[in-house]
Amino acid sequence: MVAWTLRRLAIGVLLVWLVASATFVMVGLAPGDAATRLSDPRIPAAARERWRREFGLDRPLPVRYAAWLGAAASGDLGISWTFHRKVTAVLGEVLPNTLLLTSLGLALELGGGVVLALVQLRRPHGKADRLITLFSLTAYALPTFGVALGLVSLFAYRLGIFPPSHVHSLAGESATGWPRVADLLQHLVLPVTAIGVTGVGGVARYLRGSLLDERTEHYVLAARARGCSERRALLAHALPNSLLPLITMTGMSLPFLVSGSLVVEVVFSWPGMGQVMYNAALGRDVPLLLGGTIVATVAVVVGNLLADVAYAAVDPRVRA
Amino acid sequence: MVNARWRGRALLALLLPLGLAACGAKPPDEPRAARAEGPRQGGQVVAALYQDITTLNEYQSVNETNEIAIIDLLFPSLMVEQPDYQLHPPSFAPRLASSWEFSADNRTLTFHLRPDAHWSDGTPITAEDVRFTFTIQKNPNLGAFGLEIKDYITDVEVVDPHTARFHFSRVYPYQMMDANDGHIIPAHAWGKIPLDAWRSTDFESVLVTGGPFRVASHVRQQTLALERDPLYWGSPRPYLDRLVFRILPDTASQLAQLVAGQVHLVQSIPPQEAERIRKSPDVEVVEFPSRQWGFIAWNNRRPMFADRRVRRALSLAINRKSIVDTVYRGFARLANGPVLSTMWAYNPNLPQLPFDPKAAAELLAQAGYRDTDGDGVLDRHGKPFAFDLLYPSTNSMRQEMALLIQADLARVGIRVHPRPVEFTSMIARQEAGDYEASITAWDEATKIDLTAEWSTPSSTQGTNNIVGYSNPEVDRLIAAAREESDYTHARVFLDQAQQLIVEDQPVTFLFESTQLVGVNRHIRGADINSAGVLFNVEEWYWAP
Amino acid sequence: MSAPGWLASWPPRLRVGLAALLLLALAAVAGPWLAADPTAVLDPAAARLLPPGASRVVVTRSDGSSVVASAAARSGDGWRITRLGTTEELPAASVAQVGRRFFPLGTDIVGRDVLARLLSGARVSLGVGTLALVVALAVGVSAGVAAGWAGGVVDGVLMRIVDAFLAVPMLFLLLFLAAVFRPSLAWLVAILGFSSWMGVARLVRGQVLSLKSREYVLAARAMGAGPLRIAAAHLIPNALTPLAQDAALRLGDLILIEASLSFLGLGVQPPAASWGNMVAEGQEVLADAWWLTFLPAVLVALTVIGAALAADGLQQLARADERTR
Repeated sequence: MVAWTLRRLAIGVLLVWLVASATFVMVGLAPGDAATRLSDPRIPAAARERWRREFGLDRPLPVRYAAWLGAAASGDLGISWTFHRKVTAVLGEVLPNTLLLTSLGLALELGGGVVLALVQLRRPHGKADRLITLFSLTAYALPTFGVALGLVSLFAYRLGIFPPSHVHSLAGESATGWPRVADLLQHLVLPVTAIGVTGVGGVARYLRGSLLDERTEHYVLAARARGCSERRALLAHALPNSLLPLITMTGMSLPFLVSGSLVVEVVFSWPGMGQVMYNAALGRDVPLLLGGTIVATVAVVVGNLLADVAYAAVDPRVRA
Repeated sequence: MVNARWRGRALLALLLPLGLAACGAKPPDEPRAARAEGPRQGGQVVAALYQDITTLNEYQSVNETNEIAIIDLLFPSLMVEQPDYQLHPPSFAPRLASSWEFSADNRTLTFHLRPDAHWSDGTPITAEDVRFTFTIQKNPNLGAFGLEIKDYITDVEVVDPHTARFHFSRVYPYQMMDANDGHIIPAHAWGKIPLDAWRSTDFESVLVTGGPFRVASHVRQQTLALERDPLYWGSPRPYLDRLVFRILPDTASQLAQLVAGQVHLVQSIPPQEAERIRKSPDVEVVEFPSRQWGFIAWNNRRPMFADRRVRRALSLAINRKSIVDTVYRGFARLANGPVLSTMWAYNPNLPQLPFDPKAAAELLAQAGYRDTDGDGVLDRHGKPFAFDLLYPSTNSMRQEMALLIQADLARVGIRVHPRPVEFTSMIARQEAGDYEASITAWDEATKIDLTAEWSTPSSTQGTNNIVGYSNPEVDRLIAAAREESDYTHARVFLDQAQQLIVEDQPVTFLFESTQLVGVNRHIRGADINSAGVLFNVEEWYWAP
Repeated sequence: MSAPGWLASWPPRLRVGLAALLLLALAAVAGPWLAADPTAVLDPAAARLLPPGASRVVVTRSDGSSVVASAAARSGDGWRITRLGTTEELPAASVAQVGRRFFPLGTDIVGRDVLARLLSGARVSLGVGTLALVVALAVGVSAGVAAGWAGGVVDGVLMRIVDAFLAVPMLFLLLFLAAVFRPSLAWLVAILGFSSWMGVARLVRGQVLSLKSREYVLAARAMGAGPLRIAAAHLIPNALTPLAQDAALRLGDLILIEASLSFLGLGVQPPAASWGNMVAEGQEVLADAWWLTFLPAVLVALTVIGAALAADGLQQLARADERTR
């Protein structure tokens, strides 16, 4: 088990390096560079050349790559060209914001999905079941940006119940303690709902189908024959089995945690990874772009690893 | 980083109700205060920003206009440039320097600094700071934006703590403007930082300011809050307690929050929204001619655009006035030449090119373009007259323009393919000359110097002449204008140069924008003009 | 005729889902021929943001341009039109054609017909999604069959490649590629397809592995059938239902991704219409003309719903098949 985990870790490191290198090459091939962004005609072309020299952009690609790789291997992700601060500092600021949004969104999805599926299965094909099926289907099919825009225009601008943007209100930024937390919670409602609503549908649909399948499995029938009610049989026996693939799904969702909230971040002015990476791409801020890619890839690799480990831990059949 | 003392004060400022009675800090030399209403102290104004500032040290990188405007509130410049460039080069009002004079031969300019000026930590602002700033501006390794502007300033001499003397290598009309360019930075705080660490230093952690406002808090990507510096030495001291910038990357959000009253100032309203925003009860839309102007760049190096007749034909075939009126809904003027019509050097007698598709067709025929195969598209030597028209993909007004241009040129048999391109890529292609035509817009400086944009591009240095225009006579005139120290003499050469450029039509001059600013109606005292939206923000106050 | 019986045995979900998809596909293919020209910019000043159901008089001038008026009447030899609140006289010589046009779904910010744009956008959005699916299926099925059938080193290498692709933060990659390189439609299809083939490969590989040891396959091998023939005749048909189900869901996902990319301004570029960039354009005028945002978003949702229903139906079909086996 340990050997297997170590081997996966080693492969993971290799993958991170591979993806980062590929990104480096792609950025190098992209038209324009950080100095091109200085489009003001008053800036003399000589200034742009100075910029290029400053950032080493006048050196050939392999030389730049070697330099970056050497630094990155020792943990130095460099200085962001647009922020003039360490890449790790910039990412360290925005990553928690994204994680907050996406983890709460994910929790809403999974929790909400489980609850909905269970409610549906109390009486399969009953009225509640049909209604929730319709809702799940619609929620699943709606594009995230549609939901986000709809929520903002209805609840924020028309009804004025929730704030339309930012992490804190102006008053909340300088508050401390409980009022600050309350302010944050108020600002989280709409973005988290936008993220969660689309996912809830998918989880509910999947779980319902899976639990329905399980219903006819032998061990469930056996439990019922023993005298368990249908609900108990499902909860105690079928649900754990259905949760297995859900664990995999969660693990696979870890990359989403880091990069999945871009659209919501844009609509709600939420200062997260998505926005920063988008602007870094447009501004050709190479250190920041590479640093963010590494973080995202690490998240993917770790997520896959955790999902596999959890699966192996839960399902004895795999462990052998 | 945020001082607890500051945070407490900010909180206090927020709790103060609007319309708090003025508490005696009114400087005596303030005639406006004597008028009927009287400005009230207190309150905060929330302004929307598209993106967060990247640094508060303007010499750390090239800054956006908005960043410079904010830096202007925190750091002093020697003088304040006035927005009066319509009749002559702009004049100046005192700021850090209370007076100045040229030597007899105009080769030195001496500034007398206010003795009461000091930084936010109490240290006096002296000529040493001015000299330090100059060394930073002039340092070729740092490569700050203003480097070339100081080309003709050889030295800044500290005559005494309150007198700084600028030495020039030549005499020319823009000596004061060039000396004034850039804000003064604190030598005692920032002089300690080694120059090779300059680019990687976070200057906000060692911030010392000397302006009417100081930084209260900066929550990155979210809010930049400035508060009145109670020790500010200049006048007037701001009436507002706080000036807060909220980062809202999305125009729709900015406008929605302006209308809802959560934001009080939006610096740029798209023309198609102006009417709707005007209708909201609490918002006033202020308009003024900005210095942004747009044109269609024809790559003069390409054979299809090398002939002057063809370029003139293109300008004649495009209904420029209609395009400008339609796309800008009346909030822009037609551009006629390389100098903005609002500037002193503008030649009012420029030959105007009307909308005349027939004349265009004749010129095209003269240049050898005919529709030989009857497909509705002109051709010459077997090649159809077709090209790609690039424009920045995120700009919907440029898209409208591109479509209208496509329609206009189709009527004279020219096929245009509008191509949206990512902004940075478009600039890169223009720089490399790898394009056929593009819709471009520039922000002109208040200094008139046609060299960078209209002189024959040098093969050794880079250039901003993206179309590759070359007319030796124009080069000669522009060089002659630069040599003149009296602007009325320079104007003669500039007039002739403009005439020639307009005859050559290296680009099709399209529009000069009007900037639309949305302000909350209850804010008084704001003089929003082309020198800057926040030009006199110290004088803004809330109506009772 | 066996068709009705065979069709009737399909679960209702499958029928509804497929019907929805077919309807949308039909609209995409045939619609643009029947509808007006989606690129026609008639008269931005006077024809912009007309509400659904509006009708206006379109005056085509002899030089090819057009003006849109709210009313037009003959005035002597020429025409008098009412446009933007004022009346104008147009001499007969300058007028080529006068006609009334109906805008069933209104016009957008530049005055183009929304219905026409939705239909042409359907072509793009559905087309990109479907073609990307085809790419993903082509690559995924080939890789999956090769890995599952050959086993050993080939399987190992192919699965490592799948892992490597899965390790890439896809959203960032798409974001970066789209933002910087502004790919053409063809490249966009390729990029989307290549970001999505891994799941197909894994699924197909799993199916092949489980089918490899079934009796009929062993029999075919015993009779000397080559791997390609076995794949074509036995493996793929039996893996069809789970594959179709995955494909249906994948189609929905790809369409959502394309819509999101276009919404961010990174996918299909204007002036070409796609449902995603129509939502983005409509966002600027959300307060005045909410239908510009609402309609394309609803169409995206309907497509994904159709695909999801079809997938559900296929799953029910597979379950029914299994039970009867």
